[in-house]
Amino acid sequence: MNIDRRRFVGSTAGVAATTGMAADWFWPKHSVSYQRPRSFVAILNATEYSEKVEALLMDGLRLFRLNVAGRRVLLKPNLVEDLPGPVNTNADLIGAAVRCFLRLGAAKVVVGEGPGHQRDTELVVQAANLKPHLADRRIDFVDLNRDELVRVKLKASYSGLGELWLPRTVLDSDFIVSMPKVKTHHWAGVTLSLKNMFGIVPGMKYGWPKNLLHWHGIHECILDICATVPIHFVIADGITAMEGNGPLQGTARDLGKIVVADDPVAADATCARLMGLDPFRVQHLSDGGRFLGNVNANRITMLGERVEPPARPFSVLPDFEYLIAPTR
Amino acid sequence: MIKMGSANLADRLLNRQLRSGGWSYLGSMQSSVESTSLAVLALGPDGEGMPTSGIEHLLRSQERDGGWPAFIGDSESAWVTALVLCALNTMNDFAIARESAFHWLMMERGREAHWLWRWKFRIADRGVRFNPDKYGWPWSPGTVSWVIPSAFSLVAIKQYTVCNRFAAAENRIRLGVDMLLDRACVGGGWNSGNSAVYGVPLLPHVEPTAIALLALQDEERTPVIRMSLAWLKQRSATIEAVESLAWSILSLFVYQEPVEDLKVRLATLIGDGRDIRNNATLATAILALRCGEMIHPFVVLR
Repeated sequence: MNIDRRRFVGSTAGVAATTGMAADWFWPKHSVSYQRPRSFVAILNATEYSEKVEALLMDGLRLFRLNVAGRRVLLKPNLVEDLPGPVNTNADLIGAAVRCFLRLGAAKVVVGEGPGHQRDTELVVQAANLKPHLADRRIDFVDLNRDELVRVKLKASYSGLGELWLPRTVLDSDFIVSMPKVKTHHWAGVTLSLKNMFGIVPGMKYGWPKNLLHWHGIHECILDICATVPIHFVIADGITAMEGNGPLQGTARDLGKIVVADDPVAADATCARLMGLDPFRVQHLSDGGRFLGNVNANRITMLGERVEPPARPFSVLPDFEYLIAPTR
Repeated sequence: MIKMGSANLADRLLNRQLRSGGWSYLGSMQSSVESTSLAVLALGPDGEGMPTSGIEHLLRSQERDGGWPAFIGDSESAWVTALVLCALNTMNDFAIARESAFHWLMMERGREAHWLWRWKFRIADRGVRFNPDKYGWPWSPGTVSWVIPSAFSLVAIKQYTVCNRFAAAENRIRLGVDMLLDRACVGGGWNSGNSAVYGVPLLPHVEPTAIALLALQDEERTPVIRMSLAWLKQRSATIEAVESLAWSILSLFVYQEPVEDLKVRLATLIGDGRDIRNNATLATAILALRCGEMIHPFVVLR
């Protein structure tokens, strides 16, 4: 029998996942579960960033009958660096999301981010062209790298960190919306709504980049953070995504989609499928599928359009070729 | 105009001081050691209304190991120790606090200093390219060296040992300098800590470049330093963000580059300072606007 490298890695991952599931059954590493019987995801088609995005997003949000009236909503975009290309969540989409949540009755909408590489947050906000949106609507932007911190015991123990200092703005929010840019990632395989939560970990304590998280395992830290600070909703920016050597040096890939979901694992699994990647092979999605949400397509209800894998999967670095989903 | 502006900004900064004597970053009650150190430097040891409570607050916050935590409430000594030592160095006082801070910095090192991790980076980790034999300082204990904490540590140690630099300090300085030079980007300047990832060169950032150049101000002008200075000069012409522009001015000034136009732009960007919510940024901007009028807090004498 011929076993190539990808099949070997895939099989090894499968064995590891099965063993992990068995171990997790007897010695769970998480003290919470946000998994529900069914999750809901909608794929919205948008070929470009324009004023039309707001109406499209509003229609998408209405599918979920969200109850945000009177609540404090935190939008957590992915603002990483002042670089050209599809590095950051698009500002038009962030602005549209702000307006949509205000129209849905949110008492307050805060945009919060703690860029992981660039210490000058203002530089990133300027480069992302977010300032006009913040000024127009008098929306608070909070630099999560420098917010007041609270020591929090983690609700999962994959990383062994035990606790983290986290921003008060995040902990005081009633409704957290992760707004990732759909990208490949040179350490984690993909960076989507779960990985996006690295941005709530404060640089003032953990540095730029937040190197402690790398040393304790990226996938493991993602699981611990998302167990501790649950994501209530996802708006993923896949209109122009990134493939290759993401999250900073990859190339633009027009996907033409916004993925909205009430479950971050289901959102990320859907994004991965749209990228032509197998979500079960992404460690934090596979493990997160046990308690953070649903990764299995059978438990995800698509509101409208079905997931169609791309004609050509997103290109990935050689170390991540095992993520590419087998063609049907 | 700039002088009057910086005086008003100093008043604004002073008004934001917490009762504890410290400054938070963004207006909370949680004192940040970075903000407090920069505010103490900006308001100056020579008075102008600087209450001693800022310095006393810092002295009270020193950990038993000689370091300072990133913020009050935490107990783990971190990179900000170098900034506090710079602040205390300007006052030529507080010998015991400075000495224990110096010893903490001498002991602290990036994780790659350990032979096991050095081996990992040499043999197994193909993603990033750097020489692990040349290590500096981490942001927080247990992680590898990065440019900004290494650069601040170098400035602090160089200042502290300027009159009496013994061999161990000189060796540690050389190692840190070599680390910075090793991690420089291909065309000059510095990113956060690596020059390339997966074989692709990283682009320089303003703040790490400006602060690394401060740490290298007394070194021989190697091609790396010359290229980095040229990059910073060129980039600073278009910076519209206060923090990056302020650090650029502070750095270019010690290399005797003209900064007056940059100061005018900085003053315009800041206005009356109301919109600068980050106290560390405001303090850095005041320091930049006062370049040439006061002793540069990060100057290293040869």
